[in-house]
Amino acid sequence: MASKASAGARAAGAGLARDPALAVTVVLLWAGLALFVVYPLAMLFARIVVDQGHVSLAGLGGILTDRHQVRAFGNSLLLGALVGLIGTVVGFAFAFVAARGRLPLWLVATIDASVLLPLISPPFTTAIAMIFSFGPRGLVTYGLLGVKGFSVYGLWSTLLSEALTYFPIAYLTLRPILAAIDSNVEGMARSLGASRWRVFRTVTLPLAIPGIANAFLLLFAASLADFATPLILAGNAFPVLPTQAYLQITGMFDLRGGAALSFALLVPALIVFVLQRYWVSRRQYVTVTGKGAGQTPFDSMTPGVRAALLAVCGGVTLLIVYFYALLLYASLVVALGANHAFTLAHYRTIFTDGAKAIRDTLTIAALATPLGGLYGIAVGYLVARKRFPGRRTMELVSMIDYALPGTIVGIAYLIAFNDPPLVLTGTALIIVACYVFRYGPTGIRATIALLAQIDPSLEEASRGLGAGSATTFRRVTLPLIAPAFFAGLGVVFIRSMTAISATIFLISIGWTLITVKILENITELSLGPAAAFSVFVVAIVFVVTGAIARAVRLFRAPGATQVASLLGG
Amino acid sequence: MMNRHDWRARVARALALLAVPALALAATSAARAADTLNAYSIWPENWARPMFEEFEKATGVKVNFVRFSSGEALARVIAEKNNPRVDVLFGGPVETFAAGIAEGVFEPYKSPSFARLPARMKQADGQWTAIADDPLVFMTNDKFVKEHGLKAPASWDDLLNPAYKDSLQMADARTSGTAVTRIFSILEVNGRDENKAFAYMKKLRPNVQLYTKSGGGGTLPVGLGQAGGGIFFIVDALDTKAKGYEVTISFPKEGIGTAGEGIALIKGAKNPELGKKLIDWATSPAMQSNFAKYKINFVPAHPDVALEPSLAAILKDVKLFPIDADYAGANRKRIVDRWIAEVLNP
Amino acid sequence: MAAAAATDATSAKHAVGVRVEGVSKRFAHRVKGEIYAARDVTLDVAPGEFLTLLGPSGCGKTTTLRMIAGFETPDEGHVRFGSDDVTHLPADQRNIGFVFQNYALFPHLSVGENVAYGLRVRGLDGREVATRVTDVLTLVGLAGYEQQFSSQLSGGEQQRVALARAIVIRPRLLLFDEPLSNLDARLRVQMRDEIRDLQQRLAITTIYVTHDQEEAMAVSDRIVVMNQGRVVQVGSAEDLYHHPQSRFVAGFIGRVNLLPARVTAIDGDAVELDALGCRLALRHAGAALRVGDAAALVLRPEALEIVRADDARAVLRGVVVARTFLGEKVEYRALCGDVPLQAIRYNSGPADLVPPGMEIGLAVNVDAAAVVPERES
Repeated sequence: MASKASAGARAAGAGLARDPALAVTVVLLWAGLALFVVYPLAMLFARIVVDQGHVSLAGLGGILTDRHQVRAFGNSLLLGALVGLIGTVVGFAFAFVAARGRLPLWLVATIDASVLLPLISPPFTTAIAMIFSFGPRGLVTYGLLGVKGFSVYGLWSTLLSEALTYFPIAYLTLRPILAAIDSNVEGMARSLGASRWRVFRTVTLPLAIPGIANAFLLLFAASLADFATPLILAGNAFPVLPTQAYLQITGMFDLRGGAALSFALLVPALIVFVLQRYWVSRRQYVTVTGKGAGQTPFDSMTPGVRAALLAVCGGVTLLIVYFYALLLYASLVVALGANHAFTLAHYRTIFTDGAKAIRDTLTIAALATPLGGLYGIAVGYLVARKRFPGRRTMELVSMIDYALPGTIVGIAYLIAFNDPPLVLTGTALIIVACYVFRYGPTGIRATIALLAQIDPSLEEASRGLGAGSATTFRRVTLPLIAPAFFAGLGVVFIRSMTAISATIFLISIGWTLITVKILENITELSLGPAAAFSVFVVAIVFVVTGAIARAVRLFRAPGATQVASLLGG
Repeated sequence: MMNRHDWRARVARALALLAVPALALAATSAARAADTLNAYSIWPENWARPMFEEFEKATGVKVNFVRFSSGEALARVIAEKNNPRVDVLFGGPVETFAAGIAEGVFEPYKSPSFARLPARMKQADGQWTAIADDPLVFMTNDKFVKEHGLKAPASWDDLLNPAYKDSLQMADARTSGTAVTRIFSILEVNGRDENKAFAYMKKLRPNVQLYTKSGGGGTLPVGLGQAGGGIFFIVDALDTKAKGYEVTISFPKEGIGTAGEGIALIKGAKNPELGKKLIDWATSPAMQSNFAKYKINFVPAHPDVALEPSLAAILKDVKLFPIDADYAGANRKRIVDRWIAEVLNP
Repeated sequence: MAAAAATDATSAKHAVGVRVEGVSKRFAHRVKGEIYAARDVTLDVAPGEFLTLLGPSGCGKTTTLRMIAGFETPDEGHVRFGSDDVTHLPADQRNIGFVFQNYALFPHLSVGENVAYGLRVRGLDGREVATRVTDVLTLVGLAGYEQQFSSQLSGGEQQRVALARAIVIRPRLLLFDEPLSNLDARLRVQMRDEIRDLQQRLAITTIYVTHDQEEAMAVSDRIVVMNQGRVVQVGSAEDLYHHPQSRFVAGFIGRVNLLPARVTAIDGDAVELDALGCRLALRHAGAALRVGDAAALVLRPEALEIVRADDARAVLRGVVVARTFLGEKVEYRALCGDVPLQAIRYNSGPADLVPPGMEIGLAVNVDAAAVVPERES
């Protein structure tokens, strides 16, 4: 309602004045955002446009119009679109069969668990497995199918690897939507004589379109930012921009050029964000209320279709399991492809030589996770429920680090925090801050989404009964948005364990990370320790997210709303 | 009133939460004691750590280090130049150091061994000094070679054999110093005739499966048999062999290049005296005689250090072209641009 | 904030009166710019009174209620509870009991905890809380429901919990925002009687919002009719029904036949009208009328008596067009010339029904008729 109208602004300001808790929180959050989102990007921008002491864009024109980089930009968009498309289709298939296929509960639980696996994988895991399986002498291409000289590098393998890694995001976005589409609506269409296919085409699909669009955009953005997979699989014929930016800096020693390329990625990332925010979310037709429990689900598909979908999902799941089995195998043999003697030496290595990395990563994850979770609900709650000046701006700024590829954020932090006034390089704080502000926004969006389903009258009822805004938040809102809090916690933790693109620039003598160690090991051909580290990360993340999921179930009161997913988007 | 108590509590909680990382911050700063120096090592940890341990044994000075690839290490040093975090940049191809000179991140320093080193093993002003030498080699997969009825390549022209079509992996000149060394080797073999050199590289192109981002990136595929062969630094090749992969190392009779590995003092270092101590030690036989002990397959830079016997055996009768760092540095951009235009994407 | 626990509002002499003075509230509308949700609203609620705000949706009744509650702040005007000016006091400090249309029960708390919520906020000790919760649940007919959760309750039960939660804290004021609109018709009637009985027993000043005029008439001491953000008329149900001051009120309360008329003579209290081609004399109090004014004659269906076409009392003649049998009463729609009229007859037996198509006469009970200005002011 009151947006720019002066009456609204006055009311917003007055609201702040009357509520000291709100004012303090807003100020603290703005301080954090200004320091850890705006300042680093401003410094990066300054570094780009200031050359030898004066503002100049000379030299940048060269790199931004270079034929090769332009192709890389186009390739990034193409790859992103394809990953979005294929990942959404696969995710939709999984979601449809899980939500409407009337499967036994144990099967649905298995699907949920196996779909989680790619999301929590450390970088490079699928890429290495792909080379091993589909390379010129790959296990599958050569060993199984007898195809000689098959090229594993290029668009298709990068596409496959990324689609497999990211389709779970589509699944987690679409499942609750498909589950919530009112069975009665479909039943109604059937009663009017429509065949199941027609019902799907004219009722189910249109209702799911905002969700599908949302999933597509999420996958597109994820692919756009991925630099690790193309590093290994894209080959020479298919350069992509995030990798190019990284290599410009580390291969050509051109910080300005690399930073400029990274900023080029800002454009599609922001477009995606704007589209998602202003077009998709305005068209939500379906709200997840969890109310459908009492109905018999509508019979959406013929047994034939269900079997076909299950086959497809089964195939994909098998592929995922195969890759991870390969990973496990690589961690237990001396040298994959050379010496297949069983050994536990690699695990010994990671717990001795790699002990510091493990300690550091877990410490940082332990710091970042609660901070990230709190940040998520604080911003989410303020933006969704409270009115104060600059509310929309705060929401936008909070999403910036999330929307940008990690390379930019990492470089920006490096440049901003190496010099006074605030020197943070070499500390854990810089990495923690990066994680909190980069991955916290998932918690923000989850909180906002959940609050949208919680009627404001609940909080008004609490206020009417005499509870001030802080008490209301604590006793009414917080328990109801607990699922979003845990979702935020889960995401920050997972990303803390598996992130590489931003943090590769932020490690230091004092603090190093498991993912960087994995990259090192792969570069040095030590596949065994790399695989062992990866298995370790997957195991830890599974245990912790399992614990969080249990906590969600314990915490969730009988009447509280369902959370869409632990990891959504 | 309920309001005020609660917000005070929340502020207190927020401050408490902020205190934890602040403490972590303080803790890490305190870790830097007086007899410790900090370094970025481009050499892998398996090699850097034993060397630094030997250094500590010899001098009592502890080295805190973290490993980066050459590109990342230089990027960090450049980004940090207003407030350097380390004292020394340790190891890595000398052409990385050459690139850093332009950015002004090094402090010239000549160790006592400086004078004993040949011109190509040091930068004239002392901005960097070589601590090792690293020849390029051919490495091929035994199974592949046998299947195609070939022998390990003994000449540059052997690599042009159509049997190798789409099977070779070697470094990408845009991102790796190994490639630059390789290309300049080809130039040297062709008497620095650029047209002849580029003609060769264009002929070789169809046989190249992938130009890898990092110098050693192709070693795994060759080891696994996904690629038939490639051109790598000897340390990466011998490592592959040591891991148990069935590969063979060979040299072209026309000769192949070798590039130095360097060390430099960072300008504005917080512990310059300790850094100098490390450089003194590393550029001298004191460190380099340890290569053999730890199976680090570099050729020592210092003339007084004998080559490890098995390494000597491999390098016996091999024709090596030392790559002139100044010449390479001066022409690198032009050559690489030409390579990109004519060889990579013709 | 005074310890509300100490204030025992169950005694009439502690009940508080409410005064709303010239209150306005504007909102920014995306298309229309700024609109007034409530404009210059003034009303007085006597201590212990049951006042209803009645009107169509968008008339400003809920906005006014929320401003009294403190969920909205007026742009102009004042709200007073007794002698306290609470205009800018936050809702949590006004000591009110608010019952929402959708009940707003805390889904994560049991019934007992929901009801206890306000008491815990006020810092009452456990035993006191338990006692009061048990007592109030018994009062609303939900004894023993403490451990249930709202998802397990029916709509009517949830409404009672909401009610219990609001009154257990012994508020100065009870506010209801269309509390019964989500219930089925029978339950609505039952619940409104219970709410009325409870209010009488507890003697808490109550302000009630509804769009259902029958409900308003059933429960209220006085009704405030609102339209387009303004107060249109205030009065008891009978006042509004028998003496509407405007077309709007006439049409909104109950069913009505509105016929064009012209004022031909005024003599103090009495008014003479020209309507339907005849002259009628009414006793009229209220809206200012002058001779010659265009007016509307307000004829309630029960003010028209159906008689034989040749009956001398018949002022009008027409044909029955439709008949709706509703059990205790029968509704007739008739056409007099080209003027449609509704009339009602109480069912006095099967033989009494008038078949459609029959010609009838209509006698007008002028005591039950009223006149209002033609134009809304």
